[in-house]
Amino acid sequence: MSVGLWEQLTRRKPLDHVTAGSSDEHLQRKLGTFTLMLFGVGATVGTGIFFVMQEATPDAGPAVVVAFIVAGLAAGLSAICYAELASAIPVSGSTYSYAYHSMGELVAMIIAACVLLEYGVAASAVAVGWSGYFNELTGSLLGWQLPDSLSYSPIPFEDNTTGIINLPAVVLVFLCMLLLIRGVTESARANTIMVLIKLGVLLMFVIIAFTAFEADRFDNFWAAGPAGVSAAAATIFFSFIGLDAVSTAGEEVRNPQTALPRAIMGALLVVVTVYVLVAISSVGAQPLEDFSSPEQQSAGLSVILGNITGNSTAGTILAAGAVISIFSVTLVTLYGQTRILFAMGRDRMLPHKFSAVNPRTLTPNFNTIVVAVVVSLIAGFVPADYLWDTVSIGTLGAFITVAIGVLVLRRTNPDLERPFRVPGYPVTPVLTIVLCVYVLSGLQLFTWVVFLTWLAVVIAFYLLWGRRHSRLNTGQAEADPVEVA
Amino acid sequence: MTILVGLGPLDTHATIEFGATLARSDGQDLVVVSVVPAPWPTPTSGGVDKEYAAWAASQGAVASDRAQAFIDEHCTGVPARATWVRGRSAPSALRREAARTGAELIVLGSSRHMGRVALGSTADALLHSSPIPVAVGTHGYVTPESGVISRATVAFRGDAPSHRALRRTAEVCLRAGAALRVVTFAVTTQGMFTAGVGRSERLIADQWIEDVATDQRRVVEGLAGLGVDPAEVEQSVARGSDWVEALRQVPWHDGEILVVGSSREGRLTRLFLGPTGTRIVRAAPVPVIVAR
Repeated sequence: MSVGLWEQLTRRKPLDHVTAGSSDEHLQRKLGTFTLMLFGVGATVGTGIFFVMQEATPDAGPAVVVAFIVAGLAAGLSAICYAELASAIPVSGSTYSYAYHSMGELVAMIIAACVLLEYGVAASAVAVGWSGYFNELTGSLLGWQLPDSLSYSPIPFEDNTTGIINLPAVVLVFLCMLLLIRGVTESARANTIMVLIKLGVLLMFVIIAFTAFEADRFDNFWAAGPAGVSAAAATIFFSFIGLDAVSTAGEEVRNPQTALPRAIMGALLVVVTVYVLVAISSVGAQPLEDFSSPEQQSAGLSVILGNITGNSTAGTILAAGAVISIFSVTLVTLYGQTRILFAMGRDRMLPHKFSAVNPRTLTPNFNTIVVAVVVSLIAGFVPADYLWDTVSIGTLGAFITVAIGVLVLRRTNPDLERPFRVPGYPVTPVLTIVLCVYVLSGLQLFTWVVFLTWLAVVIAFYLLWGRRHSRLNTGQAEADPVEVA
Repeated sequence: MTILVGLGPLDTHATIEFGATLARSDGQDLVVVSVVPAPWPTPTSGGVDKEYAAWAASQGAVASDRAQAFIDEHCTGVPARATWVRGRSAPSALRREAARTGAELIVLGSSRHMGRVALGSTADALLHSSPIPVAVGTHGYVTPESGVISRATVAFRGDAPSHRALRRTAEVCLRAGAALRVVTFAVTTQGMFTAGVGRSERLIADQWIEDVATDQRRVVEGLAGLGVDPAEVEQSVARGSDWVEALRQVPWHDGEILVVGSSREGRLTRLFLGPTGTRIVRAAPVPVIVAR
C-alpha cells in the first residue's frame, strides 16, 4: 500500500461511532455557566502567579500590570477559538484529536508537539517553583533548609544561585508519579479546596502588600516600552494556561453558544482581576530592583511579605498555601502529559507502549514512568527561568494553530455543524492570532531555538516513524480489547 | 432482590458462575458490574484526558459485552444482565452500584490459588466497608451439576451475627434443597507459656467450646420453626491451632459454601476487620459469604 507523502500529512482521522453509554452515561453532567466558570478559575489560578512576578517585572517595570491584561486577553480569545473547534468535532477528544479529525496528521503532530511542551515543561517548571516555596516553608517553620547544592539546578541563568540538583522538585515529581500509577484521581472537592487555598493566600498577599503601597513606585510606567511589555506578557502567558480547559467541556454544557463565552470570559475576568491585584500590590510594595534580587529568586511572594511585615508569619502562611496547592497543580499537569501520550499511542503516532495499561489499575504505567523520569530530569537540572518561556511558546503555538484552524475550517467546511460559533467572526480569530504573535515577539531567541528544535524533532519522528505506523496507515481497528503492559 | 457481581479486569468468568449459582439457589436476579476508571472531574487544558476516558468507556463496554455473552450461554434460569460503571475506586463504585440496584449481596472473585479463596484489594476493602454481605468465590469455581449449592456450612460462634447468618442460610438451603451444616471452629493457639500455665488457657477454651456447642444445639433446634428438620442439620466442633488446621478438621464437598457472620463495624474497627473475619476467609477451602 503506497500512499503519497502529501496524502499522509493531510489525511484525517475518520469520525468513528461514539462509544455507546452505560448505565451511568445517561447521567452526563450538564454544566451551567457558573460551574464551568469556576472550573476555568480552578484550572488557571496557581499555575504561574506564585512565581511569575519575579520573572516578568524586571522586563516590563510597572507596566507589568498591562502585560497581565494583554496575556489574559490573548488566552481568553484563544480559548473561545478552541471552543468552536471543539464543538465542531462530534467526538470526545483533546485538541490533538480535534486537529487530527479536522486538519490532518501533520497539524495534529504540530499541536501534539505544542501540547507536550506545554504539559511536560509546565510540570517541571511548577515542580521547581514548588521546591522554592517548600524550602521557604521548612526554613521558617523548622529553621532548616536543604543546602543550595540540593535545591538549585546546575545550569546558570544570569547571576542566579546554582547547585547540583533541585532535589525537592525531583522528589515531588516522583511522588506524583506514584499517585498516578496507583490510579489516583483528583476529586472535585479537593480541587475546590485547592482553589480556595490559592485564592485565599493570594488575597492575603494583596491585602498585606497594599499596606506598604507607595504610588511613586509606578513612576515611569511605560519606561520599558512595548518590547518590555511583550517580553513580560510572554512569560506571564504561562500563568493563564488552563483557561482553555473550559473550551473542551463544550459537550457537557447546557447551552454552549451562550454558556461557553460567558464562562471563559467570566473565568478570565476573575483570574485577571486577581493577577492584576497581585501585580499592582507587589509593584507598589517594593522598589522595582528588588524583584530581581537573588533572595526573591525562589518563593518570591513569600519573601515580599516577609520584607513588608518584618516577620515571617504571613510569608509562612503563603508558602504553606503554595506548597499544598502547587502539589496538586503538578499532579494535574503530569496526569495531562501522560494522557496526551496515551492518546497518541492509541493512534500509533507513538509506540504502542505508551498506550499499554496495567491490567489491574487500568492506568498507563510505562507511559507514566517515562513522563516522570523526563519531567524530573528537567526539573532537577534546568532553572525555571528557561522553562516558563518554553511553556508559553508551546501554548501560544497551539493557540495560533487552533485560531488558524477555525479560519481554515470555516472556508473549507462552511456547512459543518458547529454547536458553538466564535462570536465576532472573523475579527475574533484574527485578533487572537495578532495578540498571540505580539506576545510571541517578546520571547528570547533562546526560547525560539528550543521550540523550533523540539518541533523539528517531533516532525522528524513523525516523518521517520509515525506516518508509517499510524493506525490510518496500517488500517488496524481501533477498539481492540485491553492492551496489557 | 438482586445479587451484584463485581467483575475485575483480571477476573475469569468463574466469578459470574459463582454469582449465578448463589442467585439460582436463592431465587434472586444477577447484575454483573465492571468498573472502569473515572475521568478526572476537573477539566484539563486542551481536554487531554478525553481519549483516555473514551478508551476506558470502550473497555467497560467490551467487558460487559463479554460478560453478557457468557451469561446468555451459561447462566440459564437466572435473570441476569451485565453493565459497567465508572468509579474512582472499584470498592466505592461497587458499593454505590449495590445501593442503587438495591442489591443484597456483593460477589467477588479470587485472583490466585486455584480452588482457594484469595482476597484481592477490592475484596479486602469491601469486606471491611460493605454494609451488605460480601461473597468471595474461589479461583476457577465451577457450578455443581445441580446448578445450586450442594451444602452450606455456617461457622458458628454464638454471637448475634452467627445467629442471623444461620437463620438466613437455613432459608436459602431450604429453598435450594441444599444440606445445612453448623460448625463451631475453635482456634486455640498453643500459648507460649512456661510452667504449665498454658494448661489453664486450654481449660478456658474447653469451657468456651462447651458453651458454644450447647448454644449451637439450642439454635439448631429453633430452626424447626422455619421448617428445617433439626435432625438433618449436621453439627460439629472443629479445633485447630490456626484457621487452616481448624477448617481441615471437617470434610468439604464440591459446591459447598461457608457462611461467616460478622458484625457491622464502626469506622475505626473497620480498619482492622476482626481476627476471625478475614483470617477464616483467607483459609477457606470453599467460597465464603461474610454475612452482616
